[in-house]
Amino acid sequence: MAALTPYTYIQCPCSDFSTLGRPSDPNPPTGTEAEVDDDGDDDRTFDPRAPRANYSLYPLEYLLYCEDCHQIRCPRCIAEEIVTYYCPNCLFEVPSSNLKSEGNRCTRSCFQCPVCIGPLAVTSVETKPDPSLLAAPDNAAAPHAGPYALTCSYCAWSSAEVGIQFEKQNGIHAQLAKLRNGGATRLTAKERKERRKDPSYRSQHTTEGPGAPHETEDLDLETQFANLKAFHQGQLVDPNSADTGLTALGDLGFSSPTSLSRIMSIYTGGSLQDKKAKSRVGAMREALDANEGFQVARLDESAAIEALRSEGHDGTASAAQLADQPPNLGEGHLHGRGRFTPGLRPIPYLLRTKRSKRCPVCRHIISKPEAKVQATRFRIRLVAGSYIPSIAIRPLALGSGSGSGGGGTSASGPAVPGALLEPLRPAHYLLTFKNPIFETIKVTLGAPAKTPGRLASKVTVLCPDFEIDANTDVWDEALNQGGAGGGGGAGGAGGGGGGERERRRRRGEDGAAGGGGGGGGSQSNINHQNQLEVGKIWERGRNWVSIVVEVVPASLRLEPGDAPLTEDEDILEIPMFVRVEWEGEAGGDEVGSVATRDREAREKRELAYWCVLGLGRIRP
Amino acid sequence: MSSRRPPRGEYIETDTGNKVARKATLVGTQNIMLGGKTVIQPEVMIRGDLIRTIQASSQSASGAAPNNTAVSIGRYCFLSRGCCLRPPGRLYNGAFTFMPLRMGDHVFVGPGSVVQAASVGSHVHIGAKVSIGELAIIKEYVRILDGTVVPPNMVIPSFSIVAGQPARLIGEVPEGGHEAFELRDLYKTAGNNPQPMPI
Amino acid sequence: MSSKRHSTAPSAPKPPVHLSSHLTIADSAQLTGTHLIEIRGESVVHPRARLESSAGRIAVGRRCVVHERATVGAAPSAGGVSGRVAAAGADGGGGVVAVTLAECVTVEVGAVIEAGETVIGEGTVVGVGARVGARAVVGKHCTLTPYTEIAAGEVVPDFTVVYSNGLRRTDKRGVAELKNKGLARQIDVLKRMIPSNPAKFA
Repeated sequence: MAALTPYTYIQCPCSDFSTLGRPSDPNPPTGTEAEVDDDGDDDRTFDPRAPRANYSLYPLEYLLYCEDCHQIRCPRCIAEEIVTYYCPNCLFEVPSSNLKSEGNRCTRSCFQCPVCIGPLAVTSVETKPDPSLLAAPDNAAAPHAGPYALTCSYCAWSSAEVGIQFEKQNGIHAQLAKLRNGGATRLTAKERKERRKDPSYRSQHTTEGPGAPHETEDLDLETQFANLKAFHQGQLVDPNSADTGLTALGDLGFSSPTSLSRIMSIYTGGSLQDKKAKSRVGAMREALDANEGFQVARLDESAAIEALRSEGHDGTASAAQLADQPPNLGEGHLHGRGRFTPGLRPIPYLLRTKRSKRCPVCRHIISKPEAKVQATRFRIRLVAGSYIPSIAIRPLALGSGSGSGGGGTSASGPAVPGALLEPLRPAHYLLTFKNPIFETIKVTLGAPAKTPGRLASKVTVLCPDFEIDANTDVWDEALNQGGAGGGGGAGGAGGGGGGERERRRRRGEDGAAGGGGGGGGSQSNINHQNQLEVGKIWERGRNWVSIVVEVVPASLRLEPGDAPLTEDEDILEIPMFVRVEWEGEAGGDEVGSVATRDREAREKRELAYWCVLGLGRIRP
Repeated sequence: MSSRRPPRGEYIETDTGNKVARKATLVGTQNIMLGGKTVIQPEVMIRGDLIRTIQASSQSASGAAPNNTAVSIGRYCFLSRGCCLRPPGRLYNGAFTFMPLRMGDHVFVGPGSVVQAASVGSHVHIGAKVSIGELAIIKEYVRILDGTVVPPNMVIPSFSIVAGQPARLIGEVPEGGHEAFELRDLYKTAGNNPQPMPI
Repeated sequence: MSSKRHSTAPSAPKPPVHLSSHLTIADSAQLTGTHLIEIRGESVVHPRARLESSAGRIAVGRRCVVHERATVGAAPSAGGVSGRVAAAGADGGGGVVAVTLAECVTVEVGAVIEAGETVIGEGTVVGVGARVGARAVVGKHCTLTPYTEIAAGEVVPDFTVVYSNGLRRTDKRGVAELKNKGLARQIDVLKRMIPSNPAKFA
């Protein structure tokens, strides 16, 4: 089983019912019997295994922070706005106006291989091994005339394989738009549009009349859609024109309210419409011929079966390859198309975007990259990591009477990260909280005594209440570390951080709150009593504090008749509620809970959230 | 990185803070530029001897004072054990030439990886057993996961996370993930006098 | 005799070699083993490339390029094939060709070709870090993309491209000639760039 590095995921408040919609909801749902878990917000333990939890847990790096709402924001709740579109291959910016006309793919010569999605390069196709070229290798031997093809440098696919060759070396996208696989030309979107407008072309079809649907007529997808759209628009408009001159303007089409009510009446079956509308429904009919967008499905698949016989499995395109194919608007009907590798086409690169992000509540921008494609800086980048403490998890190997370093061999926990947890044997983990803000913060932790779910492991947070000193300036840090390096550097090879001068253990603070999370947890720190004390911080540094969590992993042994273990059910995950309090400068902000008295006034701030500590897998 | 503590004197530490393992193989050292504070672990190989033979305009191999730098590496790069950097080769107007390999700052190259890119931007993390094909261009803030094969000529734009054979985009580096590319702390953990990773 | 930077096998006995006078072999290349190692003209052996002939002869054709850290003739990795290879090695006469590289074969950085009548066909490229198992026969003009593994005893037809963790397709570009020409150009450049020291191995 794959090794598991301990992780911390943080829950975004956007998924929390208690913060979502409650204040603004005038009459909260009263049926509390039905939702047992949902009443009593404060007592509810967050269950990381709940199906919903999947959508709200994020590593710290993925979270942003709104300075105005003082709240964590996750990728799911923020609103994104596209700043720049660009091609990931040529790195050219695409103006958003081009996007409407040209689509969301690169229109230069950037293509991906339809077989392996590697990048394609334009190479000249040597029709024959040119003897003159062999003889004279060093003169201007690269005439690079002849046709060109797109070739993949990874899987050696070439567009010549599907019969696509280009005359010119550049403007491949435009050339490709005119070529079908096999080399036959096809009309570009523009030409098709003109053809549709062309009265001679249209009349040629209308003369046939709707009574004789010609099955041979092959429309490409785009034309078919246009025909269908025109037909249905006509259908919508026609009956209306009889009584109201207003909608006869036609272009109101789908967006007009009458159309909507008509459509609704079709599907709701009569409760909404009046008699008049009923009569109109009867006036609608389906498309009957190609001119109206009607296409007969070609159900004859003998050609495909024949191809399958001759080409075999290797000749078919995989589902992934088909999914990667660009929408081929100019191609024929979907039936029976594109199941074989000769039908694959080079994939123009999908454009990528740079996006700015807004807080969903206050609409302030919380992340904004520079607009230039090649720039990597951000104008605004409010990441949660610079507002809330990071939590690092490390297995703690308790040495038999070693000092504070913790460099001994395993006595109670897995010494190597990623090792399996022994069931029913206490293990200790070191949680290191690092304070990113320039104020001293007070952290209060709450964890259930037993992890939720079928396999209840016992959890004891030995010190659930502590303070972390403020972060300091980058320069202070640099100077400090320089000093430490010079002073304690020589003995650096020792077991546990000889160079860290600042490390000191501070005991006996806030001991009263010690049992906060450990109601049911066994206080089994018998043997190494001198090390693990309830309510004591394990270690602290300039802006960080380490505390110990003791876990007694559940046994994975199941009673006969129990459902088998589900995927990842053997991972020991601890839900933990983190409350951070600090005093910040009371800026005149509009979050009206605190009276803004003075510029100098200190304001008490707090932030509370659930997180999940994934410690490791339990040995089966 | 590795928990192994090498014996004293395994590295040569230069004035500019480069830490080069004695057991690294640097061929053509005169054509390898190190920006400083770069760690080169044992068994790393850098091919500085594969210099460009065709300068941009003329075809003559020995023009007047050609720039012979084959591999240039920025500051705070970390080349893990067993990786290999070599300049990419290409056919240029029908003749073969090597092109210089340029690497930015804070580039991590995982153990056993082979890099033949034309350029690797700053703040790039290349995992273990990765192959970067010839003349690939990797922009800033890119993460390449273990075992990835980046095909030749591929361009990987900034803030991409790529994986697979061949490499495909599997995610974007989140806004909060930029700091993880910094290698200053990792630099201190290597060399003859390794420091523990600060918390 | 041995370069001071040879840390792996400094005092191994030199294998008998048959080197063409027109080849380029770097000083720090490593030729080890007991059987004959034959390298034909215009081939290039990069620094730190390894050719091992412990299990039988190694025959490298014309215009081959063996890149740094590539190993030609490696002992087979764990598996059932070792018995036969060991037997092949034991017959001692050098009649068994452990690895044959035909003409214009490129063995890229860190690739491994196991010993045991392994054949790599003309114009084939063995990609970075790829591994070809013992007794495998790789056809002509194949491309093994980086980190590809060819199982022991496998036969890979001509013009096969092995990519994406073992998928296969046929190279229909028809550029074999062009590729060989490109390789010749590359060899021209490498010849000038890599100081050759065939005398050291003779």
